[in-house]
Amino acid sequence: MLPIARSELIQIFRNRAVLITSLIMPLAAAAFFIYRRDAFETLGSLGYIGAILVFTIAAFTLYATTVTTLAARRQDLFLKRLRSTAAGDTAILTGLVLPVSAVSLVQVALVLGAFMALSGAPADPLLLVVAIVATFVMMLALAIATAGITNSPEHAQVTSLPLSLGVVVLASWIGLTGTEDLALLKRVLPGGAATELVINAWNGGVPLTESLLLLAPTLGWVVVAVALASRMFRWEPRR
Amino acid sequence: MSTAPVIDVDALHVTYGDFHAVTDLSFQVERGELYALLGTNGAGKTSTLEVVEGHRAASSGTVRVFGESPSDRRTVRPRMGIMLQESGFSPDLTVAESIRLIGRLTGRTDTVDRVLGIVDLTRKAETRVAQLSGGEKRRLDFATAVYGRPELIFLDEPTTGLDIQSRDALWDAVEELRADGSTIVLTTHYLEEAQQRADRIGLMHHGTFRHQGTVAELTRTLPAAIQFSLPAGAPAPPVSAVAVPDGSYQIETFDLQTDLKQLLDWAHDHAVDLHGLSAAPTRLDDVFRAIDTAPALS
Repeated sequence: MLPIARSELIQIFRNRAVLITSLIMPLAAAAFFIYRRDAFETLGSLGYIGAILVFTIAAFTLYATTVTTLAARRQDLFLKRLRSTAAGDTAILTGLVLPVSAVSLVQVALVLGAFMALSGAPADPLLLVVAIVATFVMMLALAIATAGITNSPEHAQVTSLPLSLGVVVLASWIGLTGTEDLALLKRVLPGGAATELVINAWNGGVPLTESLLLLAPTLGWVVVAVALASRMFRWEPRR
Repeated sequence: MSTAPVIDVDALHVTYGDFHAVTDLSFQVERGELYALLGTNGAGKTSTLEVVEGHRAASSGTVRVFGESPSDRRTVRPRMGIMLQESGFSPDLTVAESIRLIGRLTGRTDTVDRVLGIVDLTRKAETRVAQLSGGEKRRLDFATAVYGRPELIFLDEPTTGLDIQSRDALWDAVEELRADGSTIVLTTHYLEEAQQRADRIGLMHHGTFRHQGTVAELTRTLPAAIQFSLPAGAPAPPVSAVAVPDGSYQIETFDLQTDLKQLLDWAHDHAVDLHGLSAAPTRLDDVFRAIDTAPALS
């Protein structure tokens, strides 16, 4: 698994297109949200900015990059090549997604660290960590599932768009309008309950029992995403 | 050392929906053998190979490699090197990085420098795969297949796109591995390579074997041909000769030596000059061309 992860890290940093779209663009977007934090706080709350930062990185650094790289490795028959060795499927897939997951975690730590330094710490850091981990696992599994219906890295620009944009728009919708209206819809959409968890963890003032209830749809999506990933992922191009 | 076959395939069926790619295929490959799996396009070679390599599950039948299921990668793959038909390397890794990665994952030990030397890619060690020519990619593929001198090596169209020097070097390396006891499974469209190198051949058509055996056994299934022309006024040739439209004569024979001697004796006895005399033993190409007429082996 580790030799695969190492080679994958080398490939990410050698591919300029991946480097710009998956690493630099999300960081630039995050920097913009932090720079204009006063305006976004007025529109929503500090928790809203926190949620947008988490979902920008989850959607673009983690989700879109994973879809693109898995599609590219399959198209190049690199996945088949790896499966010609003694490495098992789980080790191969873990090795492939480990670097981008690690990069995403480092990014979210840096971005939220900078945001905290400027705007103060979240009310419930532990709940924030739980929400981030659940969001990342869900987005990673959804990326593996999406890669199953993605024929090439170019095709990934189309297939990854609905979910990557969708979760960021949903985070904004919930961050700006709250969940008083259409609560059920907002909470059952992928990332909806997780967004609310991040906002609650950051702003505080919500009883823990209420926040823990939001963990059910959040973890539900993790289970659905993992099930979709195991059903939809393909190792070889269609013939 | 075990005398059990390295590969044991029994009643293999591979189907894709309603399509039967492989039907009731059985064969064994013995230790140290070079077995060539040949066939027409769409004959089922790739499906068979993929099942034996462990890339695909059989629809039914049993396949054993070293007595184990080929899908048990952890057990079987350290003993097996696979040269895929299409390279499958990441364009952003260098040649040395690719070999190091795949080599480590095979579970065998070797040095990158040694295998680079075998395929004459030492100077390209730090070149990215994206910048390699088609032939160089094939050589890289071969390098990863022979990393750690595996006991069993699959060579799927190994010489496609290679120049003659690279082909010779590849076959020299294969002969060296065979001298060390490696077993080779080969697929190729270059029939002369199979004729020259294979101990045994399985010839597939429409999902089944039409012939299986040594080159001599396969070529014995079709008659050899003697051709000649006769000068004007010559007496009638031996009865087995038939006239062909261009005015020459042809003898089809399963006993080339005897019939050729009989013809030459006849010419000598009648003082006849045989013009354009040729005697061609049956080649693998001939067996291949006549594959449509061969019944499926049970």
